[in-house]
Amino acid sequence: MTDFLFSSGWGAFTIMLFFQIPFLIVFIRIVYKKAFVNAEPSGTHPKKYSRLEAAWIATTIVLFILINVISINYMPPISTAKAALIEDIREVDVTAQSWSYDISERTYESGTTVRFVAKSIDTVHGFAVYHPDGRVLFTMMLVPGLEEPTSLTYTFTDPGKYTVRCSEYCGMIHHAMRDQLTVTPKG
Amino acid sequence: MSTATAIIDRTPFFGRMFNVDESTGLSDINAWPALIIMTSFVWLAIAALLGVLMPVIQFFDLNTSYFYTDITLHGAAMAFPFGFQLMVGISLHRSGGCMGRKATGPLVALFYICMNVGALLLTLAVLNGLKITYTIMYPLPITGVETGQWSMGTLILGFTGIAMVLASMIFFYPIKVIRMMFYEQKHEDLVLSERTIKDPGMLGMVMSVLILLVLGTPLMICVLALLMSLYGIVPPEAVTWASEPVVFQFVFYIFAHNLMEAMAIMVISAVYATLPLYLADGTRKLYSDKLANLALWILLVTSVTSFFHHFYTMFPALPSALGYHGNIMSWGTGVGAAFSIFTVLATIWKHGIKPEPGLIIILAGFILYILDGVGAMTAANLAISYQIHGTVWVGGHAMAVLMAMSMMWMGVLYHHYPVITGRKLNRELGLRFAKYYFIGAAGLFYSFMAGGALGMPRRFAEWEGSWNVVGFSFFVFGVILTYSFYLYISNMIQSKEISA
Repeated sequence: MTDFLFSSGWGAFTIMLFFQIPFLIVFIRIVYKKAFVNAEPSGTHPKKYSRLEAAWIATTIVLFILINVISINYMPPISTAKAALIEDIREVDVTAQSWSYDISERTYESGTTVRFVAKSIDTVHGFAVYHPDGRVLFTMMLVPGLEEPTSLTYTFTDPGKYTVRCSEYCGMIHHAMRDQLTVTPKG
Repeated sequence: MSTATAIIDRTPFFGRMFNVDESTGLSDINAWPALIIMTSFVWLAIAALLGVLMPVIQFFDLNTSYFYTDITLHGAAMAFPFGFQLMVGISLHRSGGCMGRKATGPLVALFYICMNVGALLLTLAVLNGLKITYTIMYPLPITGVETGQWSMGTLILGFTGIAMVLASMIFFYPIKVIRMMFYEQKHEDLVLSERTIKDPGMLGMVMSVLILLVLGTPLMICVLALLMSLYGIVPPEAVTWASEPVVFQFVFYIFAHNLMEAMAIMVISAVYATLPLYLADGTRKLYSDKLANLALWILLVTSVTSFFHHFYTMFPALPSALGYHGNIMSWGTGVGAAFSIFTVLATIWKHGIKPEPGLIIILAGFILYILDGVGAMTAANLAISYQIHGTVWVGGHAMAVLMAMSMMWMGVLYHHYPVITGRKLNRELGLRFAKYYFIGAAGLFYSFMAGGALGMPRRFAEWEGSWNVVGFSFFVFGVILTYSFYLYISNMIQSKEISA
């Protein structure tokens, strides 16, 4: 469940709906009732407002903290730190230039942990890797002139062709800036 | 007749909508705001058509450069000469009428000239080949010259326009508002509804202009340094401290992100000011001014450093500590929004409301604002950002927050329109506008979010496969939204004299 929520776009969409739907139901219901059904002032006791306010804010803060704490394991800095403990990491250098990539190695065996170390030598580029099923696995922002290149560690598990696209607008051929990585079955 | 009124009178079609009623003796708070608002609607008409054109360019497989031209012009026009300028016009009228200060003078004129002439110069540069989107994407403007995508002359023209637009937003408007709040002479005959900066409706305004001035000044310094180098006044080597890409990116987003937050704080304070005027029991009071102010303070403090979320995917160039900080602050703005939601709902529940179009438009815009805010917070989670950044989810968020704010401002303008022009608007048209705007904007919002979930990249001139289905959805809801603008404008054209 948490893999779906924090490692996929539709998971993000689900998290978004989780907060939006209750808000919409409550907000529209109250506005409709007090505008079109019964506009008379409510005789709600002031203490009830205070309790509702406290409950609402507390619930909001708790949910916010919960969602973000659960996501910690999926944050790339954390996964990169964990990957540093793995002995067999394949380091792949990427250089982006309008409008192509120079990737030192494009084929990996399933189960390989790859550290992409990427830089741009002209303008801002992106390095977005798409799973064969079309979803975004991760994206990296490459700003030219950085002392330390952008890096990210990822373990490829599914064999197939992974499309690389530039995710930062970089000029008139931005849409054609792409490449491909290949993951082969293990063994 | 003032300069502003004369320009309005001479403007075909749009001038009819914003003729100022000079018999009220309120020209000093009506004329220039009316001109500014009118001009924003001219830009809206252009930008709306450009927006609908984007999917059409894709469907008919037209030259990709048309798409990049369109996306640059649409974004720039919607955000600045429409959205920001609409806010300026209404807020100048509001602060004038609440504080009894004149919304006239050299600063207002300078704002108007720099915003609109600057936008025109940028438009000319884009039509001449400068395709950099409304976020400039530095150092793309420079590398574009080096790779032969556009000429140096075009770049200088565009950058000059950008500098003028920024000067209007960072200096002229904020300084004018600060002067109005704290220094200028009060005229009792201009006071429509007395307020102080302790009122939530005014506090947000002060916060917003200070954000613009303080966080925008470093960007202005860098832009002016670059401009001087482009004009040959100083050698390029002398401004490497400004021209270094990571420097420019950071000063740009420190301002650009907080520009949006400032506009949001400004419009939320306008909601706080306008909602009480439509309460069914006539008390004209929010549930709690203290709670409303607290919400604004939380929004202010959390938003200032939440801009790090623009740089998550630069790790480790952006240290992870700053990434975590940006994550916490971004979700912290949601706590401020939660206080706002409670204040608005408690006010409505306690006092009841009159379902007048102005208020309904404001509340519908508020709903959009919260829906978008949730989408934005989701994208600002460090883990999720790595799947969402660079997709249309983010582009859709930028659009949705502007649509939400614009809707709230259009509701506030609906409320102020009779005072400015002496004419009343049609109730049914107003409610119909609210309905179609909401459907169009919400539909666009969810289309963009779904596109982002699918991995559809933003600013991408060749849609593939299922992206075209999403693109068709953009087109349909874009047309509905454009129809709503037509309803709003029609309402103003058909407006009748109050005395009639």
